[in-house]
Amino acid sequence: MLPDMWVKLILLLLFCLMILGALHFAEPRAAETPRSSATAFHALRLLTWNIGYAELEDDTRAHDKDLPAVADVILREDADAVALQEVTGNTQLKTLLRLLGGKYRGAVAQQGNTDRFEALLVKDAGAKFIPVPVGDRYALGVSFKPNGDAQQVLVLSAHADAFNAARRRTYTEALVDWAKAQARSSQVFIAGDFNFELKAANETNLYTDNLKHDSESYSHILRHFRDLGRTAGDTAINDRRIDYVFGPPALEHVGRVEVLRNAAVGRMDHWPLLVEVGF
Amino acid sequence: MFTLLKLELEKLFRSRSFYLSFLVLIGFVVLMLWGFYTYAERKTGGQAVEQFKYTYESKQYFNGLTFALYSLLFSFTLLLPIFVSMSAGSQIAGETRSGTLRMICTRPISRALLILSKFLVSAFHAGLLLAFFIALNLVVGLIFVGWGNLELYPGPLNLVDAPGKIMRDEALMRFGYAALSGTWALLVIAALALLCSVVFDSPAQAIVMTIAAYLTLYIIGRVEFFEHMRPYFFTTDMDFWRDVFKPDIPWQGLWHYACICGAYTAGLLLTTVVIFERKDIVT
Repeated sequence: MLPDMWVKLILLLLFCLMILGALHFAEPRAAETPRSSATAFHALRLLTWNIGYAELEDDTRAHDKDLPAVADVILREDADAVALQEVTGNTQLKTLLRLLGGKYRGAVAQQGNTDRFEALLVKDAGAKFIPVPVGDRYALGVSFKPNGDAQQVLVLSAHADAFNAARRRTYTEALVDWAKAQARSSQVFIAGDFNFELKAANETNLYTDNLKHDSESYSHILRHFRDLGRTAGDTAINDRRIDYVFGPPALEHVGRVEVLRNAAVGRMDHWPLLVEVGF
Repeated sequence: MFTLLKLELEKLFRSRSFYLSFLVLIGFVVLMLWGFYTYAERKTGGQAVEQFKYTYESKQYFNGLTFALYSLLFSFTLLLPIFVSMSAGSQIAGETRSGTLRMICTRPISRALLILSKFLVSAFHAGLLLAFFIALNLVVGLIFVGWGNLELYPGPLNLVDAPGKIMRDEALMRFGYAALSGTWALLVIAALALLCSVVFDSPAQAIVMTIAAYLTLYIIGRVEFFEHMRPYFFTTDMDFWRDVFKPDIPWQGLWHYACICGAYTAGLLLTTVVIFERKDIVT
């Protein structure tokens, strides 16, 4: 019979071994700096940003006083195309274009059933803006040739419903159906705020219809497009990654991918997502 | 030691709660099946359940393997820990209540070995429960839902951040891994329940205290207020068992958390032995 002391020693040894094992297999701590790819490759630089405010405000759309800061970020990052969401309308767009010193052309989407608009800014003077009807809302597309390339690029600015996952699903499916039809003649990029709540850990229920809708919407997009900002981390407060840039699956190069976490001003609840790609 | 183990196993097989735990698990699987069919019927407007399987534009998303995975993940968090607590929590406190502990301790056996044999029996019960539950789900899934590959999507189950797939044979192997990793995770609960069983004289008290500690940490871990404390809860580390269902198993992280759970188990057992050795048995 083993004496009691031996049992205790074996348990102590086991405890120490387990601690050592845990230390041995511990993964290196992730760097504190924002996650981004190392390679800088600039064929096309896209930026998407929901410049609206958090729910705490009376008016959660973009605020005029923030537009100089928004323009600063766009000029600093020198984006070829910028997808904006929650713009109040043409007046804000004109102000923003003026602040950008005439470097960009822009348009806002047609008004759907909401009080806020998607907008697109692009450097190419020959760019063509295309309204994209998506159910009872409108997204906006712009077709252009970046840096004088022969390759036509189509960028869409999208904003899916914030409160209803079923509506987000309908919107996403319609948008993707439209976009994939354009992919035959252009390199298509979809940028915007999709509001997908895919972190099941944040749900109190283990399985919900909402979660299933968002999961299916996201998976539907990934059938035809590639999630270019996946490695960049959260794009909105409360640890949410709800802003995306989707691109062609066979993209040759993906360079810098970064969420610009110092860019938000006022009570904005999103950060801009920047993606550089080459094809 | 072997005689002790044999005696403890006999006690386990004689206890009604042992069989009750299996019965409840069978009931849970029946409920899951019923829920699955009614949900599918509701969502397809009374159409065939087959139509529901087309979820995620896949012809076979909801198949027997998916059913087994959902059932296992749903039950592991709350149902299995209860039975493990019941089994381990009544080991010493049960003897105390029935007045047999004093008699056992008057015999020439080591108290440490007594604890060890009781823990091994509880571990065996936990392993058996999990293996039975997985096998039952797979069989029920195969018969009533059908067979196919295991497809995983971001969101539900929170296993992947991009769509992935595990082929059928590999998925079956993963369920085997889950029986091992899940049992290893449940040993933390068993060790905690055994400690409570030594500290408290009533089995009900020991079981309730174990479940209360587990649930408190589990619930707090899901509330964002305590996000910064989450890494320090054993309930967070116990979650490692489900990583075997990721298309690419993150082996390094899995071993890391398995070792942490092992440290909790060994540490709690050591504490239990030390307390039990010094315990004055008056009942």
